[in-house]
Amino acid sequence: MWNLDVEAGPIYTQIVRGVERMLANGKMKPGEKLPSARELAAELKVNPNTVIHAFSQLEMAQMTETKRGLGTFVREDVNVEGIRLRILQEAAFRFWSEVQSLGLGLEDAQQALKKASPNGQREEP
Amino acid sequence: MLAKLFSVTKRYGKTDGVHDLSLELHPGQAVGLLGLNGSGKTTTLKLLAGMLFPTQGSVEVLGQPPRANRGQIAFLSDADNLYAWMTPTDAERFMVGLYPDFNLHRYRELLAFLEVPKQGYRSMSRGQRARLRLAMVLARDARLFLLDEPLSGIDVISRDRILKSLVLEWRDEACLVLSTHEVSEAEGIFERVLLLKEGRLALDARAEDLRARGQSVKDAFIEVLA
Repeated sequence: MWNLDVEAGPIYTQIVRGVERMLANGKMKPGEKLPSARELAAELKVNPNTVIHAFSQLEMAQMTETKRGLGTFVREDVNVEGIRLRILQEAAFRFWSEVQSLGLGLEDAQQALKKASPNGQREEP
Repeated sequence: MLAKLFSVTKRYGKTDGVHDLSLELHPGQAVGLLGLNGSGKTTTLKLLAGMLFPTQGSVEVLGQPPRANRGQIAFLSDADNLYAWMTPTDAERFMVGLYPDFNLHRYRELLAFLEVPKQGYRSMSRGQRARLRLAMVLARDARLFLLDEPLSGIDVISRDRILKSLVLEWRDEACLVLSTHEVSEAEGIFERVLLLKEGRLALDARAEDLRARGQSVKDAFIEVLA
């Protein structure tokens, strides 16, 4: 679910992205309670301070809120659609830079996307 | 500051175990003490524990020589050093007699979490022995925890449990120093990593800073040693 990778940048950023991803794909819902920093740290086998750092970033980005004595919750007014589109856009940038590095253009990219999608147009075998 | 090495050299005959080593340890830190075999990890831990005396320089724990503060220091040796007949219950009596800060409640919780069997030490597997010895050390209300290679040579399930219990037993007022040469598995729990090379401090960095530069702790380890 979290897929932490110590080669892929700071762990706190990966935890933030993990929450965003779960919100975007519906595995986590607005209003839902997050595990405590300690629980999540034990599950991920990371330093509790790293999780606390990630949680403070989520709160600054107005995705979560801390209710005193109750824990950390996803905000009810969190912009799930916005997060979903942003993750999609980031994936598109990565895809597009791959297309460019191959010396290909938009049309090739579109064709490749259609082929990748099960509902897209496929050449008959 | 919790503990300090100031310009410490420890000489064994003609070779230096550590050479001109200076560092400070603070409460709330989980520190990975990394290095190859023979790089000075155990010497550093034993100096901090007051089990070795520096040839030159000074060591302080809470402002005093380590020996004066033994009650604040919990040391886990890498030696397989419990009595063969001891069961976890015997070990409990042993620790209560030895350390006034031994927390019985926490010890029993740790035994359950680490799934330590009730049998004698002699008939335990290597992983079970390591888990029992860790429970004995972590159950103390000490300020400085020095764990020498608690992960090496034991099964993957035991390593997983040990790492989780280290996180769950985390206390802000304590500092944990864990030596290991198996970097990858433990690197997530370290806030700070110290890398020893031939008795000298080759790197002192925050683990998240290394990762922000696109380097895992293991990458940094290899880079420094190469």
